[in-house]
Amino acid sequence: MKNKNVLGNSVYGHRLSFDSIGNPLKRNRLRWAFSLFFLLSITPLVRAQTGQNAMSRPANSANNTVSGYVIDAANGEKLIGVTVYVKEKGTGAVTNSYGFYAVPVTAGTYTLVISYVGYEMQTKKVELAAGNRRLDIELREEGKQLQEVVVSTKREDDNVKNIEMSVNRIDVKTLRRIPALLGEIDVVRSIQLLPGVSTVGEGATGFNVRGGSIDQNLVLLDEAPVYNSSHLFGFFSVFNPDAVKDVKLIKGGIPANYGGRIASILDVRLKEGNAKKPELNGGIGLIFSRLSYERPLFSGKGSFIIAGRRSYADVLVQPFLNDDLKGSKFYFYDLTAKANYRINDKNTVFLSGYFGRDVFGADFGFNWGNTIASARWNHVFSDRLFLNTTAYYSNYDYSLDSDLKRKEKQDYFRTNSRIVDYSFKPDFTLFLGKSTITFGGQSILHDFQPGTATAASAGTVSTFGLESKYGLENALYVGNEQQITPKLQLQYGLRYSLFNYIGPGEAYTFGENVSGNRSRLPVAITSYKRGDNIKTYGNWEPRLAAKYELGNNSSLKLSYNRLAQYIHLISNSTASTPLDVWTPSTNNIKPQIGDQVAGGFFKNFGAMNGVGSEFETSVEVYYKWLQNQIDYVDGANLILNKFLEGDLLSGKGRAYGAEFYVKRNRGVLNGWVSYTLAKTERQVAGINGGNWYPTRFDKRHTLTTVLLLDPPTRGDGIASRWNFSGTFTLASGTPGTFPTNRFEYEGIVGPVVNGRNNYRIPPYHRLDLAATLQGRRRPGKRKEDNWVFSVYNVYARKNPFSVFFQSDSDNPRLTQAIRYSVFATVIPSITYNFKF
Amino acid sequence: MKLNIFFALWLFSTFALFGCETVIDAKHDTGPSQLTVDATITDQPGLQSIRLTQTAAYFDNSPSPAVTGATVSVSDGAGRTFAFTDPDNDGYYVWQTEEGDTLGRIGQTYGLSITYQGNTYRASSTMNRVPPVDSIIFRKQKLNPLSSIEGYQAEFYARDLPGATDYYRIRYFRNGVLQNRARDIITLKDASFSGSANTDGFMFIQPFRQSINPDSLYAHNDSVNVEIRSITPEAYAFWQQFAQQISNGGLFATPPANVPTNVVNTNSGGPAAMGFFTASAVRSRSMRVVGENIRE
Repeated sequence: MKNKNVLGNSVYGHRLSFDSIGNPLKRNRLRWAFSLFFLLSITPLVRAQTGQNAMSRPANSANNTVSGYVIDAANGEKLIGVTVYVKEKGTGAVTNSYGFYAVPVTAGTYTLVISYVGYEMQTKKVELAAGNRRLDIELREEGKQLQEVVVSTKREDDNVKNIEMSVNRIDVKTLRRIPALLGEIDVVRSIQLLPGVSTVGEGATGFNVRGGSIDQNLVLLDEAPVYNSSHLFGFFSVFNPDAVKDVKLIKGGIPANYGGRIASILDVRLKEGNAKKPELNGGIGLIFSRLSYERPLFSGKGSFIIAGRRSYADVLVQPFLNDDLKGSKFYFYDLTAKANYRINDKNTVFLSGYFGRDVFGADFGFNWGNTIASARWNHVFSDRLFLNTTAYYSNYDYSLDSDLKRKEKQDYFRTNSRIVDYSFKPDFTLFLGKSTITFGGQSILHDFQPGTATAASAGTVSTFGLESKYGLENALYVGNEQQITPKLQLQYGLRYSLFNYIGPGEAYTFGENVSGNRSRLPVAITSYKRGDNIKTYGNWEPRLAAKYELGNNSSLKLSYNRLAQYIHLISNSTASTPLDVWTPSTNNIKPQIGDQVAGGFFKNFGAMNGVGSEFETSVEVYYKWLQNQIDYVDGANLILNKFLEGDLLSGKGRAYGAEFYVKRNRGVLNGWVSYTLAKTERQVAGINGGNWYPTRFDKRHTLTTVLLLDPPTRGDGIASRWNFSGTFTLASGTPGTFPTNRFEYEGIVGPVVNGRNNYRIPPYHRLDLAATLQGRRRPGKRKEDNWVFSVYNVYARKNPFSVFFQSDSDNPRLTQAIRYSVFATVIPSITYNFKF
Repeated sequence: MKLNIFFALWLFSTFALFGCETVIDAKHDTGPSQLTVDATITDQPGLQSIRLTQTAAYFDNSPSPAVTGATVSVSDGAGRTFAFTDPDNDGYYVWQTEEGDTLGRIGQTYGLSITYQGNTYRASSTMNRVPPVDSIIFRKQKLNPLSSIEGYQAEFYARDLPGATDYYRIRYFRNGVLQNRARDIITLKDASFSGSANTDGFMFIQPFRQSINPDSLYAHNDSVNVEIRSITPEAYAFWQQFAQQISNGGLFATPPANVPTNVVNTNSGGPAAMGFFTASAVRSRSMRVVGENIRE
């Protein structure tokens, strides 16, 4: 705190009123926070380097370490979650997100067993005299008979043995099998088939996890956040499946190294690119085409992948468009790239990037997209301490234009908005055998640019803009995953997050909300200069998870986590629009806090064949308490509104439910069935008479079934070239607000509403089917190809997205209830995929 | 066509992606009926009329039940009080101007008082300034780029009054018939929509200038009347939300909510009213779709 005095004479924001908003701070607080952050993040590093022996506990008198990377022999991809087991000691390690493992051992000779589902198990003899041993391991994919493995559980019975609960992974192989809308496999649509994950409706952007809204999911692409994960509203996601290596969704028991959102973490990792040989992948579908190229670099010391997609719906749909829409553009494209270079055994660097845009409109239109770049440096200290440092830039922006073709010089309207993040994030992993300690931190500078508008009328031009808002988010964490007894494992951690709403900018004080649910008006405005602190929030976020193994291949798990969220998506519509803006926590908007307790029972059974059990089952229950949830006054004005905060309401939320999951890992018919029973509610003063009401995405029952049919190998030993899959979804209708009465004003009829979300729209069900035909392999040729035939919404159900109430367009006195369906028909498609 | 930033979204979700709207039967409860006040007074000579009705069940498509037997009066800041009566017992309460007099005057604030079934409701509204309609022109256009049918598209010119934020509502008549569908609710803040750049003193921006067209466009010799009404900021919010609530569907619907009202029951525990009381100054211009008004 010494700094405070030294820097105490910093420039104060000049104040337009004598009303005080927060504390008119002070550059020094920020500097203090920064220095604290760096101090704390460096200190353990130094200690870890210099005092490693002191840190390893005497009980674990291991002086040597076996460590290294585990990679795929075919393409050099680092493998995440591989088990490295020391037979003699009965301990082991699991490779981290960068494929690195470390096992502390005393001198001696050991047998390492390296196993990973879908790969051939390897046994390695290691002789350790003195000192550490670096051992990089290459694993070879198993043959055809294991291609039927559905969801990669990464290691034998991982779901039972791993302390992680409420975690789902989907590997790309499974992803490719799930019947997809218009034949285009999609990460976000596929995770909606997992327990606890839902969406407000087809075509809606984002996804809801255990009663969380879409902005409460931290969507990471190689450690950098993605602010809008959707293309074409919510029909496709930004992740190009050709470039994705691993997808992990964490719904509960979130470890301390993650923070910033309160519902879930969707951690998407990109492929590193084939480090053994050049490879070309592509696909041609009805909506878009994909092409990716990967190859080794620097004679095998590095590799890269570049993948692109472009939709051509605009071209294809043109003949079918309503006449008004002739000449419309709507398309999207994206480019995903990643490169890595292994400098030496101890240092590897990665660069990842994503650039995508959606363009839509005729004369009037808009476009939006993300730009993401991240650089990472993996460093291995002393064989036991692993560091990943990430620096990233993430940008989401949209623009709107009344005259895309620039035909009218005199009359137009344009607006744009963006959110930009810059972040630095060191993460350490210290492997101590029975304990794996993670620690690190993150600094993020958020720059919110809510919008600038330019209007021209009859040649007169005027520009109107909202000032940027800035937020500085810092976090420090430490966590430990510890094997207490052979049966009991704990994972505990603590994260401290600190948010500063900083200048330059204006802070507003609003008057009381006199009539319940109406905009509040500003009563005072305070200006702040660059670097001034406007408001500070800090939160301790404890994390705890425990696993107790019961015999018989089953376990019990419990977890608790608290998470804080300092940035918020301002969206009042059923589905979020690409034009929704993000806002930081301010003196008026408190950070969202989420607490979750979850418990689960996991059991595997059925035949074992060395790669885990035939069946995996789990039952999980959860309860969540949410604070400072944002809702909106009636008729809220959310776009280009300087006093937006006066249109926001704050309330609390609760969500609870149970998730049941059964999966068959192999066999001719495999796949999973999941059932979720859930309830999600909010209570906000001014809405629904102050009583609890269900959120718009509340669904009581959700049943999803994913079945994959792999025809057995024929008598003559030739594997079938066909395989089949189907998904069936059945879910309760989401709630809607139905009017009770009508009133008439100037000959037009309007609704009278009493309450919020007081009715249910009809239930949702849908069947999708797909068949894949593998092309013939020709000896000596590298080409592999397949055809995917899929049918979406097989029995053409007009599933309701919503029921709304309107007057007949020609007779304003005639009121009607209208069921709105996004896809009201069966949608067949065909896709051709190839690989060279 | 009204410039609405969700317009394109709506188009997309409605036409481009197999979207489908089906009229269905929906069962729901009916709430207690409420007094609805449909009251606009103007600075124009002639009859001033206030309509009182009851709210009805949402799907009851018969005309709203009239409220009769209420006592209705309007007073201004100069101490004048105007009694409105319902001679036909049909819920239309009228005040007939005397020769040459007008009820409304720009700059005055008017109070409405209604006594009905033992409750007294009050509302007030200021009559703000309004600019004239400078001109209306017509251009021959195809109904859409591929259509062979042609019509006349009207564009009217008016300039926002500079120096303060003004709010207006546009109404238009084809051959004397008010065009009154949900999408004909046209409101401006200065020369544009709210959440736009500052357009104080601007010519009304183009989407508004061209907002006075029916789907079929106009035919030769049609008469077109365009009316600008000044409204208060509160009335602007009322119209915005009214328009939103009656066309609120699709992917990006917002939660249905009650349209605000400025009619307040003096007994705060008594039944609330719906509707709005507005004092508007009105300027209008009529043009025929003929020779000199048609541009190339």
